[in-house]
Amino acid sequence: MKIDCTIDGKTLTLSLNSDKPLSLILRENMGDEGYVNHCSGRMCGLCAVLVDGKAVLSCMVPAFEIRGKTVTTFESFRRSKEMKDIEKAYEAVGAYPCTDCYASRSLIFHSLIDEGVTDKNQILKELSIVRCHCMDAASEIKIVQKGIEIRRKRNVRRTQLA
Amino acid sequence: MYEGLSSPNIHTPKSISEYASIVLHYPLSKIWAGGTFIMTRPDAYPSKALNAEIIYLGEMEELHRFQRNDRSAEFGAMVTLDEILNTGKSVLPRVLIDNITSIGSRVITRRATIGGAIATHDFTTSFPGTLIVLDASAEVRFLKKKRLHSRWMQMTRLLDKNGRITLPQSGMISRVRIAFSEKNFQYFEEIGSFMTDPRNAVSAAFAGTLEQDILINPRIAFTFPNHGICYSRDIDNIFTTLHFPLDDSEFMTLESIIFTFIDSTFQNLSPLQRTRTRGLLRNIIDALNEDSLTVPPDERQ
Repeated sequence: MKIDCTIDGKTLTLSLNSDKPLSLILRENMGDEGYVNHCSGRMCGLCAVLVDGKAVLSCMVPAFEIRGKTVTTFESFRRSKEMKDIEKAYEAVGAYPCTDCYASRSLIFHSLIDEGVTDKNQILKELSIVRCHCMDAASEIKIVQKGIEIRRKRNVRRTQLA
Repeated sequence: MYEGLSSPNIHTPKSISEYASIVLHYPLSKIWAGGTFIMTRPDAYPSKALNAEIIYLGEMEELHRFQRNDRSAEFGAMVTLDEILNTGKSVLPRVLIDNITSIGSRVITRRATIGGAIATHDFTTSFPGTLIVLDASAEVRFLKKKRLHSRWMQMTRLLDKNGRITLPQSGMISRVRIAFSEKNFQYFEEIGSFMTDPRNAVSAAFAGTLEQDILINPRIAFTFPNHGICYSRDIDNIFTTLHFPLDDSEFMTLESIIFTFIDSTFQNLSPLQRTRTRGLLRNIIDALNEDSLTVPPDERQ
Protein backbone atom coordinates (compact mmCIF):
# COMPACT_ATOMS: atom_id res chain seq x y z
CA MET A 1 0.00 0.00 0.00
CA LYS A 2 1.31 3.49 -0.88
CA ILE A 3 0.96 6.04 1.89
CA ASP A 4 1.54 9.78 1.52
CA CYS A 5 2.46 11.51 4.74
CA THR A 6 4.81 14.07 6.21
CA ILE A 7 7.39 12.80 8.67
CA ASP A 8 9.63 15.35 10.39
CA GLY A 9 8.90 17.94 7.72
CA LYS A 10 9.64 15.62 4.78
CA THR A 11 6.78 14.78 2.46
CA LEU A 12 7.08 11.08 1.70
CA THR A 13 5.35 8.36 -0.25
CA LEU A 14 5.96 5.09 1.55
CA SER A 15 5.22 1.63 0.24
CA LEU A 16 4.20 -0.37 3.31
CA ASN A 17 1.98 -3.02 4.77
CA SER A 18 -1.22 -1.16 5.55
CA ASP A 19 -1.47 -2.37 9.16
CA LYS A 20 2.17 -1.85 10.09
CA PRO A 21 2.46 0.15 13.34
CA LEU A 22 3.92 3.64 13.08
CA SER A 23 6.57 2.74 15.66
CA LEU A 24 7.91 0.01 13.33
CA ILE A 25 7.69 2.33 10.31
CA LEU A 26 9.86 4.85 12.15
CA ARG A 27 12.33 2.20 13.26
CA GLU A 28 12.59 0.12 10.10
CA ASN A 29 11.67 2.44 7.25
CA MET A 30 12.97 5.71 8.68
CA GLY A 31 15.90 4.28 10.68
CA ASP A 32 14.86 6.15 13.83
CA GLU A 33 16.02 3.45 16.25
CA GLY A 34 17.36 5.85 18.85
CA TYR A 35 14.09 7.41 19.87
CA VAL A 36 11.20 5.12 19.11
CA ASN A 37 10.64 1.89 20.93
CA HIS A 38 8.44 -1.00 19.77
CA CYS A 39 7.04 -2.85 22.76
CA SER A 40 4.70 -5.29 20.92
CA GLY A 41 1.64 -4.19 22.86
CA ARG A 42 3.13 -4.02 26.35
CA MET A 43 2.00 -0.38 26.62
CA CYS A 44 5.36 0.90 27.86
CA GLY A 45 4.53 4.42 26.72
CA LEU A 46 8.03 5.03 25.36
CA CYS A 47 7.06 5.47 21.72
CA ALA A 48 5.17 8.77 21.85
CA VAL A 49 5.23 10.94 18.73
CA LEU A 50 3.13 13.89 17.63
CA VAL A 51 0.54 13.24 14.92
CA ASP A 52 -0.95 16.52 13.72
CA GLY A 53 0.45 18.14 16.86
CA LYS A 54 -1.12 15.73 19.33
CA ALA A 55 0.79 13.15 21.35
CA VAL A 56 -0.03 9.54 20.47
CA LEU A 57 1.64 6.21 21.12
CA SER A 58 3.08 5.27 17.75
CA CYS A 59 2.66 1.53 18.40
CA MET A 60 -1.11 2.09 18.37
CA VAL A 61 -1.26 3.89 15.04
CA PRO A 62 -1.48 1.67 11.94
CA ALA A 63 0.05 2.84 8.68
CA PHE A 64 -3.28 3.50 6.96
CA GLU A 65 -4.18 6.06 9.64
CA ILE A 66 -1.22 8.33 8.88
CA ARG A 67 -2.32 8.98 5.29
CA GLY A 68 -2.13 12.73 4.72
CA LYS A 69 -1.04 13.42 8.30
CA THR A 70 1.98 15.14 9.77
CA VAL A 71 4.14 13.05 12.08
CA THR A 72 6.72 14.74 14.29
CA THR A 73 9.22 12.54 16.10
CA PHE A 74 11.51 13.66 18.88
CA GLU A 75 14.37 13.77 16.34
CA SER A 76 12.94 16.96 14.81
CA PHE A 77 11.06 18.18 17.89
CA ARG A 78 14.30 18.44 19.89
CA ARG A 79 15.42 21.34 17.67
CA SER A 80 12.21 23.33 18.17
CA LYS A 81 11.64 26.36 20.42
CA GLU A 82 9.03 24.34 22.32
CA MET A 83 11.70 21.82 23.35
CA LYS A 84 13.93 24.67 24.51
CA ASP A 85 11.11 25.74 26.86
CA ILE A 86 10.87 22.22 28.23
CA GLU A 87 14.64 22.01 28.69
CA LYS A 88 14.54 25.31 30.60
CA ALA A 89 11.76 23.86 32.78
CA TYR A 90 13.90 20.74 33.47
CA GLU A 91 16.78 22.99 34.45
CA ALA A 92 14.64 25.24 36.65
CA VAL A 93 13.12 22.30 38.52
CA GLY A 94 16.41 20.37 38.61
CA ALA A 95 14.91 17.10 37.42
CA TYR A 96 15.55 15.32 34.13
CA PRO A 97 13.95 12.18 32.68
CA CYS A 98 16.27 9.22 32.09
CA THR A 99 17.58 8.48 28.60
CA ASP A 100 14.96 5.75 28.06
CA CYS A 101 11.92 7.95 28.50
CA TYR A 102 13.41 11.40 27.69
CA ALA A 103 11.85 11.60 24.22
CA SER A 104 8.43 10.26 25.13
CA ARG A 105 8.08 12.20 28.35
CA SER A 106 9.22 15.44 26.69
CA LEU A 107 6.57 15.07 23.97
CA ILE A 108 3.85 14.46 26.55
CA PHE A 109 5.12 17.44 28.59
CA HIS A 110 4.87 19.49 25.37
CA SER A 111 1.30 18.32 24.80
CA LEU A 112 0.33 19.28 28.38
CA ILE A 113 2.10 22.65 28.21
CA ASP A 114 0.48 23.36 24.84
CA GLU A 115 -2.99 22.73 26.27
CA GLY A 116 -2.17 24.71 29.44
CA VAL A 117 -3.12 21.87 31.79
CA THR A 118 -2.52 22.94 35.40
CA ASP A 119 -4.66 20.43 37.28
CA LYS A 120 -2.24 18.22 39.23
CA ASN A 121 -4.28 15.04 38.94
CA GLN A 122 -4.72 15.57 35.23
CA ILE A 123 -0.95 16.02 34.77
CA LEU A 124 -0.17 12.83 36.70
CA LYS A 125 -2.84 10.89 34.84
CA GLU A 126 -1.48 11.97 31.47
CA LEU A 127 2.08 11.09 32.41
CA SER A 128 1.06 7.73 33.88
CA ILE A 129 1.16 6.36 30.33
CA VAL A 130 4.98 6.42 30.48
CA ARG A 131 5.91 3.31 32.43
CA CYS A 132 9.27 4.53 33.69
CA HIS A 133 9.81 5.47 37.30
CA CYS A 134 12.78 7.78 36.88
CA MET A 135 10.87 10.90 37.83
CA ASP A 136 8.77 11.68 40.91
CA ALA A 137 5.25 13.08 40.73
CA ALA A 138 6.10 16.42 42.36
CA SER A 139 8.81 17.13 39.76
CA GLU A 140 6.47 16.24 36.90
CA ILE A 141 3.88 18.72 38.14
CA LYS A 142 6.51 21.43 38.66
CA ILE A 143 7.94 20.90 35.17
CA VAL A 144 4.54 21.36 33.52
CA GLN A 145 3.77 24.45 35.61
CA LYS A 146 7.20 25.94 34.93
CA GLY A 147 6.92 25.07 31.25
CA ILE A 148 3.58 26.89 30.97
CA GLU A 149 5.12 29.92 32.69
CA ILE A 150 8.18 29.95 30.41
CA ARG A 151 6.08 29.56 27.27
CA ARG A 152 3.71 32.35 28.36
CA LYS A 153 6.66 34.70 28.92
CA ARG A 154 8.07 33.83 25.50
CA ASN A 155 4.73 34.49 23.84
CA VAL A 156 4.36 37.85 25.63
CA ARG A 157 7.88 38.86 24.55
CA ARG A 158 7.10 37.88 20.96
CA THR A 159 3.88 39.94 20.86
CA GLN A 160 5.70 42.92 22.40
CA LEU A 161 8.39 42.70 19.70
CA ALA A 162 5.71 42.48 17.02
CA MET B 1 11.80 -7.43 9.08
CA TYR B 2 8.47 -8.75 7.84
CA GLU B 3 8.95 -8.41 4.09
CA GLY B 4 6.80 -10.65 1.96
CA LEU B 5 3.72 -10.35 4.16
CA SER B 6 0.55 -9.62 2.29
CA SER B 7 -0.78 -6.19 3.07
CA PRO B 8 -4.46 -6.12 4.10
CA ASN B 9 -6.81 -4.10 1.89
CA ILE B 10 -8.22 -1.11 3.71
CA HIS B 11 -11.79 -0.08 2.95
CA THR B 12 -12.86 3.33 4.20
CA PRO B 13 -16.61 3.69 3.73
CA LYS B 14 -18.00 7.21 3.96
CA SER B 15 -21.59 6.21 4.71
CA ILE B 16 -23.63 3.30 6.06
CA SER B 17 -24.80 2.31 2.57
CA GLU B 18 -21.19 2.18 1.38
CA TYR B 19 -20.35 0.08 4.44
CA ALA B 20 -23.21 -2.30 3.55
CA SER B 21 -21.94 -2.88 0.03
CA ILE B 22 -18.39 -3.56 1.30
CA VAL B 23 -19.62 -6.01 3.94
CA LEU B 24 -21.70 -7.81 1.30
CA HIS B 25 -18.60 -8.32 -0.81
CA TYR B 26 -16.27 -9.16 2.09
CA PRO B 27 -18.35 -10.68 4.91
CA LEU B 28 -15.28 -11.88 6.85
CA SER B 29 -13.50 -8.54 6.97
CA LYS B 30 -12.19 -7.11 10.21
CA ILE B 31 -13.97 -3.98 11.45
CA TRP B 32 -11.59 -1.33 12.72
CA ALA B 33 -12.69 1.56 14.99
CA GLY B 34 -10.03 3.34 17.09
CA GLY B 35 -7.67 0.37 16.99
CA THR B 36 -6.48 0.81 20.60
CA PHE B 37 -7.30 -2.78 21.51
CA ILE B 38 -6.25 -4.42 18.22
CA MET B 39 -2.88 -2.65 18.15
CA THR B 40 -2.00 -3.51 21.75
CA ARG B 41 -2.25 -7.25 21.18
CA PRO B 42 1.25 -8.76 21.02
CA ASP B 43 0.40 -10.51 17.73
CA ALA B 44 -1.21 -7.46 16.12
CA TYR B 45 1.57 -7.15 13.58
CA PRO B 46 2.37 -9.29 11.72
CA SER B 47 -1.18 -10.55 12.16
CA LYS B 48 -1.61 -14.29 12.58
CA ALA B 49 -5.29 -13.96 11.76
CA LEU B 50 -4.33 -13.16 8.15
CA ASN B 51 -7.25 -10.85 7.65
CA ALA B 52 -7.04 -9.70 4.09
CA GLU B 53 -9.71 -7.03 4.40
CA ILE B 54 -10.06 -4.29 6.98
CA ILE B 55 -13.03 -1.92 7.14
CA TYR B 56 -12.00 1.32 8.82
CA LEU B 57 -15.00 3.20 10.22
CA GLY B 58 -13.17 6.45 10.97
CA GLU B 59 -14.39 8.28 7.88
CA MET B 60 -18.10 7.64 8.38
CA GLU B 61 -19.47 11.03 9.34
CA GLU B 62 -22.65 9.70 10.94
CA LEU B 63 -20.66 7.59 13.41
CA HIS B 64 -19.01 10.73 14.80
CA ARG B 65 -22.28 12.44 15.75
CA PHE B 66 -23.41 13.22 19.26
CA GLN B 67 -26.99 14.17 20.11
CA ARG B 68 -28.74 14.83 23.38
CA ASN B 69 -32.21 15.65 24.60
CA ASP B 70 -33.74 16.03 28.06
CA ARG B 71 -33.71 12.33 28.77
CA SER B 72 -30.74 10.77 27.06
CA ALA B 73 -27.57 11.21 25.07
CA GLU B 74 -26.86 9.38 21.84
CA PHE B 75 -23.31 8.77 20.68
CA GLY B 76 -22.13 7.55 17.31
CA ALA B 77 -19.89 4.49 17.61
CA MET B 78 -16.79 6.44 16.54
CA VAL B 79 -17.14 9.12 19.22
CA THR B 80 -14.00 8.86 21.31
CA LEU B 81 -14.06 8.47 25.08
CA ASP B 82 -12.31 11.82 25.39
CA GLU B 83 -15.07 13.52 23.36
CA ILE B 84 -17.70 11.93 25.63
CA LEU B 85 -15.87 13.31 28.64
CA ASN B 86 -15.60 16.79 27.09
CA THR B 87 -19.17 17.03 25.85
CA GLY B 88 -21.10 15.41 28.65
CA LYS B 89 -19.14 15.63 31.90
CA SER B 90 -21.84 17.66 33.66
CA VAL B 91 -24.87 15.72 32.43
CA LEU B 92 -23.78 12.11 32.01
CA PRO B 93 -24.08 9.60 34.89
CA ARG B 94 -21.21 9.69 37.34
CA VAL B 95 -20.53 5.96 36.98
CA LEU B 96 -19.80 6.49 33.27
CA ILE B 97 -17.53 9.48 33.88
CA ASP B 98 -15.67 7.53 36.60
CA ASN B 99 -15.22 4.64 34.17
CA ILE B 100 -13.73 6.85 31.45
CA THR B 101 -11.44 8.70 33.84
CA SER B 102 -10.22 5.38 35.27
CA ILE B 103 -8.86 4.45 31.83
CA GLY B 104 -6.17 7.05 32.35
CA SER B 105 -4.22 9.17 29.93
CA ARG B 106 -5.87 11.13 27.12
CA VAL B 107 -3.26 9.63 24.81
CA ILE B 108 -5.47 6.51 25.03
CA THR B 109 -8.93 8.05 25.48
CA ARG B 110 -8.41 10.33 22.45
CA ARG B 111 -8.20 7.19 20.27
CA ALA B 112 -10.48 4.70 22.03
CA THR B 113 -14.05 4.85 20.73
CA ILE B 114 -17.30 3.91 22.45
CA GLY B 115 -18.20 1.39 19.74
CA GLY B 116 -14.77 -0.23 19.88
CA ALA B 117 -14.88 -0.41 23.67
CA ILE B 118 -18.08 -2.46 23.46
CA ALA B 119 -17.32 -4.69 20.49
CA THR B 120 -13.84 -6.03 21.23
CA HIS B 121 -13.19 -9.63 20.21
CA ASP B 122 -12.32 -12.25 22.88
CA PHE B 123 -11.84 -9.53 25.45
CA THR B 124 -14.16 -7.43 27.58
CA THR B 125 -13.39 -3.84 28.51
CA SER B 126 -14.92 -2.29 31.62
CA PHE B 127 -17.25 -0.19 29.46
CA PRO B 128 -20.10 -2.63 28.60
CA GLY B 129 -20.58 -3.47 32.30
CA THR B 130 -21.11 0.21 33.06
CA LEU B 131 -23.51 0.58 30.14
CA ILE B 132 -25.48 -2.43 31.43
CA VAL B 133 -26.00 -0.90 34.87
CA LEU B 134 -27.13 2.31 33.16
CA ASP B 135 -29.62 0.32 31.06
CA ALA B 136 -28.09 1.73 27.87
CA SER B 137 -29.07 0.47 24.44
CA ALA B 138 -27.12 0.14 21.21
CA GLU B 139 -28.12 0.28 17.58
CA VAL B 140 -26.78 -2.84 15.89
CA ARG B 141 -26.44 -3.00 12.11
CA PHE B 142 -26.25 -6.47 10.65
CA LEU B 143 -26.56 -8.31 7.36
CA LYS B 144 -29.64 -10.44 6.75
CA LYS B 145 -30.67 -11.79 3.36
CA LYS B 146 -28.07 -9.57 1.65
CA ARG B 147 -29.51 -6.42 3.20
CA LEU B 148 -28.27 -4.31 6.08
CA HIS B 149 -30.78 -4.18 8.93
CA SER B 150 -30.66 -2.11 12.07
CA ARG B 151 -32.12 -2.76 15.49
CA TRP B 152 -31.94 -1.01 18.84
CA MET B 153 -31.04 -3.52 21.53
CA GLN B 154 -30.53 -3.20 25.26
CA MET B 155 -26.98 -3.94 26.29
CA THR B 156 -28.14 -6.89 28.41
CA ARG B 157 -29.55 -8.52 25.26
CA LEU B 158 -26.13 -8.37 23.61
CA LEU B 159 -24.70 -10.58 26.39
CA ASP B 160 -24.43 -14.27 25.58
CA LYS B 161 -24.61 -17.02 28.22
CA ASN B 162 -20.84 -16.78 28.79
CA GLY B 163 -21.02 -13.10 29.62
CA ARG B 164 -19.51 -11.92 26.33
CA ILE B 165 -20.89 -9.17 24.12
CA THR B 166 -21.89 -10.92 20.92
CA LEU B 167 -22.83 -9.26 17.67
CA PRO B 168 -24.28 -10.96 14.60
CA GLN B 169 -21.93 -11.91 11.72
CA SER B 170 -20.65 -8.71 10.04
CA GLY B 171 -22.59 -6.76 12.65
CA MET B 172 -21.45 -3.46 14.01
CA ILE B 173 -22.63 -1.01 16.61
CA SER B 174 -23.53 2.33 15.04
CA ARG B 175 -25.00 4.28 17.96
CA VAL B 176 -25.23 4.02 21.73
CA ARG B 177 -28.02 5.63 23.75
CA ILE B 178 -27.44 6.40 27.42
CA ALA B 179 -30.25 7.68 29.62
CA PHE B 180 -29.47 10.48 32.08
CA SER B 181 -29.65 8.50 35.28
CA GLU B 182 -31.47 9.85 38.32
CA LYS B 183 -30.13 7.08 40.53
CA ASN B 184 -28.59 8.62 43.62
CA PHE B 185 -26.04 5.90 44.30
CA GLN B 186 -23.52 5.17 41.57
CA TYR B 187 -20.22 3.39 41.97
CA PHE B 188 -17.43 2.38 39.65
CA GLU B 189 -14.04 0.93 40.51
CA GLU B 190 -11.42 -0.89 38.50
CA ILE B 191 -8.61 -2.85 40.15
CA GLY B 192 -5.62 -3.92 38.10
CA SER B 193 -4.92 -3.01 34.51
CA PHE B 194 -7.31 -4.42 31.91
CA MET B 195 -4.78 -3.95 29.12
CA THR B 196 -1.54 -5.09 30.72
CA ASP B 197 -2.75 -7.61 33.32
CA PRO B 198 -6.13 -8.95 32.14
CA ARG B 199 -5.77 -12.22 34.10
CA ASN B 200 -5.98 -10.43 37.43
CA ALA B 201 -7.95 -7.27 36.67
CA VAL B 202 -11.58 -6.78 37.60
CA SER B 203 -14.05 -3.90 37.63
CA ALA B 204 -17.40 -3.32 39.27
CA ALA B 205 -20.19 -0.94 38.29
CA PHE B 206 -23.25 -0.31 40.42
CA ALA B 207 -26.21 2.05 40.12
CA GLY B 208 -29.38 2.27 42.19
CA THR B 209 -31.64 4.61 44.09
CA LEU B 210 -31.15 4.41 47.83
CA GLU B 211 -34.28 5.52 49.68
CA GLN B 212 -33.93 5.41 53.44
CA ASP B 213 -32.70 1.84 53.92
CA ILE B 214 -33.74 0.08 50.70
CA LEU B 215 -32.51 0.10 47.12
CA ILE B 216 -34.84 0.73 44.21
CA ASN B 217 -33.96 -0.60 40.77
CA PRO B 218 -30.36 -1.57 41.60
CA ARG B 219 -28.02 -3.00 38.98
CA ILE B 220 -24.59 -4.47 39.54
CA ALA B 221 -22.09 -5.83 37.03
CA PHE B 222 -18.61 -7.26 37.52
CA THR B 223 -16.28 -7.39 34.53
CA PHE B 224 -13.43 -9.86 34.11
CA PRO B 225 -11.50 -8.90 30.96
CA ASN B 226 -10.55 -12.43 29.91
CA HIS B 227 -13.86 -14.02 30.87
CA GLY B 228 -16.69 -11.58 30.38
CA ILE B 229 -19.36 -9.69 32.28
CA CYS B 230 -21.08 -11.08 35.33
CA TYR B 231 -24.58 -9.65 35.36
CA SER B 232 -27.79 -11.25 36.55
CA ARG B 233 -31.31 -9.97 37.21
CA ASP B 234 -31.42 -12.42 40.14
CA ILE B 235 -28.56 -10.64 41.88
CA ASP B 236 -30.26 -7.28 41.28
CA ASN B 237 -33.43 -8.69 42.85
CA ILE B 238 -31.50 -9.85 45.91
CA PHE B 239 -30.22 -6.28 46.37
CA THR B 240 -33.82 -4.97 46.38
CA THR B 241 -34.65 -7.24 49.35
CA LEU B 242 -31.80 -5.91 51.51
CA HIS B 243 -32.16 -3.37 54.31
CA PHE B 244 -29.15 -1.16 54.83
CA PRO B 245 -26.87 -0.94 56.72
CA LEU B 246 -25.87 -4.59 56.35
CA ASP B 247 -24.05 -6.34 59.17
CA ASP B 248 -21.21 -8.81 58.62
CA SER B 249 -23.36 -11.94 58.56
CA GLU B 250 -25.71 -10.41 55.97
CA PHE B 251 -22.70 -9.38 53.90
CA MET B 252 -21.31 -12.93 54.04
CA THR B 253 -24.63 -14.36 52.85
CA LEU B 254 -24.81 -11.85 49.98
CA GLU B 255 -21.19 -12.56 49.07
CA SER B 256 -21.74 -16.33 48.95
CA ILE B 257 -24.82 -15.90 46.71
CA ILE B 258 -22.90 -13.66 44.31
CA PHE B 259 -19.90 -15.99 44.23
CA THR B 260 -22.13 -19.00 43.58
CA PHE B 261 -23.39 -17.19 40.49
CA ILE B 262 -19.89 -16.07 39.42
CA ASP B 263 -18.53 -19.62 39.84
CA SER B 264 -21.36 -21.09 37.79
CA THR B 265 -20.63 -18.66 34.94
CA PHE B 266 -16.84 -18.35 34.99
CA GLN B 267 -14.79 -21.37 36.03
CA ASN B 268 -11.25 -20.11 35.72
CA LEU B 269 -11.04 -16.89 37.71
CA SER B 270 -7.58 -16.35 39.17
CA PRO B 271 -7.29 -16.28 42.98
CA LEU B 272 -6.31 -12.60 42.84
CA GLN B 273 -9.35 -11.83 40.72
CA ARG B 274 -11.59 -13.51 43.29
CA THR B 275 -9.99 -11.60 46.15
CA ARG B 276 -10.34 -8.34 44.24
CA THR B 277 -13.99 -9.07 43.42
CA ARG B 278 -14.65 -9.69 47.11
CA GLY B 279 -12.91 -6.39 47.92
CA LEU B 280 -14.98 -4.49 45.36
CA LEU B 281 -18.22 -5.94 46.73
CA ARG B 282 -17.12 -4.97 50.23
CA ASN B 283 -16.39 -1.41 49.03
CA ILE B 284 -19.84 -1.11 47.42
CA ILE B 285 -21.61 -2.37 50.54
CA ASP B 286 -19.51 -0.10 52.78
CA ALA B 287 -20.43 2.91 50.62
CA LEU B 288 -24.11 1.90 50.70
CA ASN B 289 -23.97 1.43 54.48
CA GLU B 290 -22.38 4.85 54.86
CA ASP B 291 -24.99 6.52 52.64
CA SER B 292 -27.86 4.83 54.43
CA LEU B 293 -26.55 6.04 57.79
CA THR B 294 -26.06 9.61 56.59
CA VAL B 295 -29.03 11.89 57.25
CA PRO B 296 -30.05 13.67 54.02
CA PRO B 297 -29.51 17.47 54.18
CA ASP B 298 -33.25 18.25 53.97
CA GLU B 299 -34.00 16.11 57.02
CA ARG B 300 -31.34 17.70 59.22
CA GLN B 301 -32.62 19.99 61.96
